[in-house]
Amino acid sequence: MTAVEVPQAQSSAGHPTSRIDETVHQRHRLGILTITAEAKRAEFGYLRETLGLTAGNLSRHLTVLEEAGMVQVEKGYAGRRPRTWVRITSRGREALAAELSALIELVRRHRAADGS
Amino acid sequence: MGGEVREPAAQDEPGRPGPARGERLGSQPELLGEMKALRRQTRAARHAYWLPLVLFGLLTCASVPFYIQPVFPTGTGSFEVGRAGLALPFFGGYAGFLTQSAAYYWMAALLGGLLLTQLWYWWHARRVGLATSARACIIGTAVLTVLAIVIPPLSQVRSPAGLRWLHHLAVLWPGDLVVRGTFPFLIIAVGLLVLAWAERSVALTVIAVVYAGAALLSVLYDVGTILYWFGWNTPPGDQSLPNVLLPALVLLVAGTAAFAAQRQHRVVA
Repeated sequence: MTAVEVPQAQSSAGHPTSRIDETVHQRHRLGILTITAEAKRAEFGYLRETLGLTAGNLSRHLTVLEEAGMVQVEKGYAGRRPRTWVRITSRGREALAAELSALIELVRRHRAADGS
Repeated sequence: MGGEVREPAAQDEPGRPGPARGERLGSQPELLGEMKALRRQTRAARHAYWLPLVLFGLLTCASVPFYIQPVFPTGTGSFEVGRAGLALPFFGGYAGFLTQSAAYYWMAALLGGLLLTQLWYWWHARRVGLATSARACIIGTAVLTVLAIVIPPLSQVRSPAGLRWLHHLAVLWPGDLVVRGTFPFLIIAVGLLVLAWAERSVALTVIAVVYAGAALLSVLYDVGTILYWFGWNTPPGDQSLPNVLLPALVLLVAGTAAFAAQRQHRVVA
């Protein structure tokens, strides 16, 4: 594989991986942020079914994101049934945008390297 | 560096930051593709705009009796022209186009339709598990409706002297737009454009723009004249009906198509 020529300023601190937040850089947490960014709020059951997770696993991922201030979890009732709604915060949106941007940049570099 | 893509250090516990065991990120293009598909799937599941389209289409159809005008034999009877005393001129029109009851109908239909739309989005969010923020559309359209109700009487206040400044509100009268009594269509058009923004739907944006065009045509022009060019004469007394049925048709066709598309998505999902 041929080395990609990267400008000096980008070669170290400017590398896309330096912009990656490890809290977000996980397939399921990325999925949670992607879904909640598309709606005003998403219900726990929808997230669980769409992402194919167990309730316990989803809860743990939500806890990580909530502790990082990226989502807000709201508990309530629909009739007698308890409902949990998840809402993305502005910090979560920023983290998702940064992650997407880093991934796109990584892919661009990867393809440039393969093409050269 | 080469073409190698390095990932940050992984941590295996799901409760900690970083990818869990067996969940490490594969190739970035694959991940980006998954996110794109997830976004598309979520947006499609969240969309629920077919009902407001059909609802306001039906409410428009239900207003048809108010637009049928009495027919007098030539040379007999009289026809009232000019309704200076009409209580809701924004909804009732001028020059004898409509009756006062049409104005009250539209006031109730707009506010009732908005209430039903809000209930629909609330119910849909509970059923699907995804909520759309339709509040901006509901509040924005309700504010426009209330302004259309209160501006005419307020702009005619002449006493007490301290409230005479209210006559400046007359600059907000939309002039020729209220003549035919089809101004409510423009309020619905604005509501649909805001709803398209809330739904983040290109399809609804196209529908709202087409509807706004049809509404403007109905407000400013006699649609029956266009039909006449094609050899279709509207009977006396029914000349206003094409102005009502054109926007209604746009809403009903678009609403039915949106319902079919959203149903198809649910079946596939």
